[in-house]
Amino acid sequence: MMRKIETNTAVQRKREIEDPQKRHSRHEAMEAVQMLDKLKYDFPHSLESMKYFYDLYERVYCKGEKIHSDKPLVGTLCIQVPYEIIYAMDAVPVRLCNGFHTDEQLGGEFMPTKSCSLVKATLGMLQSRDIPAADKLDIIVHPTTCDQKTKAISIIEDMSYDMYHMEFPRVKESEESREYWRRTVRKFTKDISKELGRKVSRRSLKEAIRKVGRAQMAYHKLNELRRVTPSPILGKDMFLITNAFFFDEIERWTEAVENVYEEVKKRVQSGFNAAGKRSPRILYTGSPPIFPNLKLPVMIEEADGIIVADESCSANRLLNDMVSVDEWFMYDMVDAIADRYLKGCTCPIFTKNEDRKRRLRELIEEYCVDGVVYQSFAGCQVYEMEQRSIMQEMEKINIPMLYVETDYSPGQGGQLSTRVEAFIESLKVRRRKR
Amino acid sequence: MVYFAGIDIGSTAIKIVVIDENEIIKGYKVSGSGSMFYKYAKESFELLLKDIGISSQDVAYITSTGYGRKLFKEADETISEITANAVGARKAGEEFGTIRTIINIGGQDSKAIALDEHGNVVNFAMNDRCAAGTGKFLDVAAAKLEIDVEELGDYHFRSIGTPLSINSTCAVFAESEIIGLLGNEHTKEDIVAGIHFSIAKRIIRLAKRVGLNEVIYFDGGPALNKGLVSAIEDELGRELAIPRYPQITTALGAALLAKEAWEYELKNADAV
Repeated sequence: MMRKIETNTAVQRKREIEDPQKRHSRHEAMEAVQMLDKLKYDFPHSLESMKYFYDLYERVYCKGEKIHSDKPLVGTLCIQVPYEIIYAMDAVPVRLCNGFHTDEQLGGEFMPTKSCSLVKATLGMLQSRDIPAADKLDIIVHPTTCDQKTKAISIIEDMSYDMYHMEFPRVKESEESREYWRRTVRKFTKDISKELGRKVSRRSLKEAIRKVGRAQMAYHKLNELRRVTPSPILGKDMFLITNAFFFDEIERWTEAVENVYEEVKKRVQSGFNAAGKRSPRILYTGSPPIFPNLKLPVMIEEADGIIVADESCSANRLLNDMVSVDEWFMYDMVDAIADRYLKGCTCPIFTKNEDRKRRLRELIEEYCVDGVVYQSFAGCQVYEMEQRSIMQEMEKINIPMLYVETDYSPGQGGQLSTRVEAFIESLKVRRRKR
Repeated sequence: MVYFAGIDIGSTAIKIVVIDENEIIKGYKVSGSGSMFYKYAKESFELLLKDIGISSQDVAYITSTGYGRKLFKEADETISEITANAVGARKAGEEFGTIRTIINIGGQDSKAIALDEHGNVVNFAMNDRCAAGTGKFLDVAAAKLEIDVEELGDYHFRSIGTPLSINSTCAVFAESEIIGLLGNEHTKEDIVAGIHFSIAKRIIRLAKRVGLNEVIYFDGGPALNKGLVSAIEDELGRELAIPRYPQITTALGAALLAKEAWEYELKNADAV
């Protein structure tokens, strides 16, 4: 009798042990569901057209659906990889920048403790080979933008991924760097097409520029509506939309954004207010919020602020400038693409901070911003350093700024939300007096 | 008579202040927050009302603040402890003139707040995440030294050697540093003085981020520790302005905000 019970528990125990890959996916799904539920249910008046995005995230991050399977997949480690050229080869770019705490912990094995959460999480994801929306990566492209990513490359190579390096300049004002980057992009076009065995033709490149341009246009139109007071759409939805651009099928994404635009436009016409009566208008900048690490944007809007504008590489900057072509010749198109990526970039890795300051000032004015929230991932030195000059600039134009250092860990809630709430409360008082 | 209550549910203690229409403190209570924030806060609130002999119906508006602010379901409004502290400090520190710079050390936060001439928060700084230089830090140190937190002040003034420098920024590391010092047979007195000076240095660095004005006001539970106060004064090179009951300032601020919110609601109700 005794023995029988023992064998029973033994059998049962054996069944309970999960395969590591499955466990990893489960942890991720738990994280994703938690954030999605917050975004879906914790805010009133959700947009009907956002359902597409909620479903998309659920399919990809909770159910593990692979969206792209028939075409070559190019993983990109930074926003600076020219999407147009990849599309022109009839391949699909998938951005690998990652926001999972689960992956950050995995990646912590390879990186110093005091390094950026995003880079750690990306390494963790690559190590676990659980890449959202993508089955397998044919190649990973890495522009030498930030130091930590650049130094992480050898670690990724050790995980036996095929890597391609794109040399990126650190000063953008000079003619030399412009030429340097153009040459990098020309070389990239040639090398990748050889690597994937797919040609870029004049026609396919023109079509790709149009395709990306349409996506940008759809986003711009929607983004413009955020200038209106009262603001018709919450920032948390905008972050979800722009984050989906990382991995979604581009034409379907464009269409979904257009649907959101139509619905939000109707809201504007009826004078709808997505936030509270006295919600201060916030500009969000700094280290990029990437799903599911939307904790700071969500905190801001839970504290009765509304994010009306953003300046980060996971949102606004992603779709900033459009390619502007003089002549539809091959060389002209490739150079124009190169320019779009270099000139439009306001990443703090550049020597000078001027361009980012200028863009922030513009956004503050155009979107009637009351205050700025600046996030830096602990260990992201460039954002940590640039904070100082941005803070001084904001003092000059008399716009309050809250600087916060965060990472992906969920345990930062109390102190962080206190600071965010106090900041929003002080903005309300300022506003009342104006 | 109508009353207003401010409840500050902090990480270490629950502070409750009840004021009347003239902003006079009718009663206050400080109790440990323990592990059940809501339950203890509710009990403590009921006890206080009983002590001062008013019923809960007489309390027109309750504002809660502190880490556990969202747990207190009876509250009409929640407010962050920074705003509440600023409002409370202005009132509690009236006798010192117009307060422009506040230093507040709580159970697990240390804050520095800059106010404009009307008492509005214009800037603030807060320790980033760990309990470095907070009340928790003092608790951990006192426990390791086997002395009561209340005794820390006496130990500070009895220090006759050089205060020992404690450099760790984290409470956990500081504990091992203290163990190291004990291992080298340093006196508890010198260690305690060292702890106070290290907290003083940290809080002044934080305060410099928001700017130091003429009158530096200091409150929060640790302001009851005379040793710490003296260490901060020595580091600053001037005297601090400390209210009579430094621990309840934030709760007082919440009570004042409750009164303000209630008056605002009344005014708007009349308009309709």
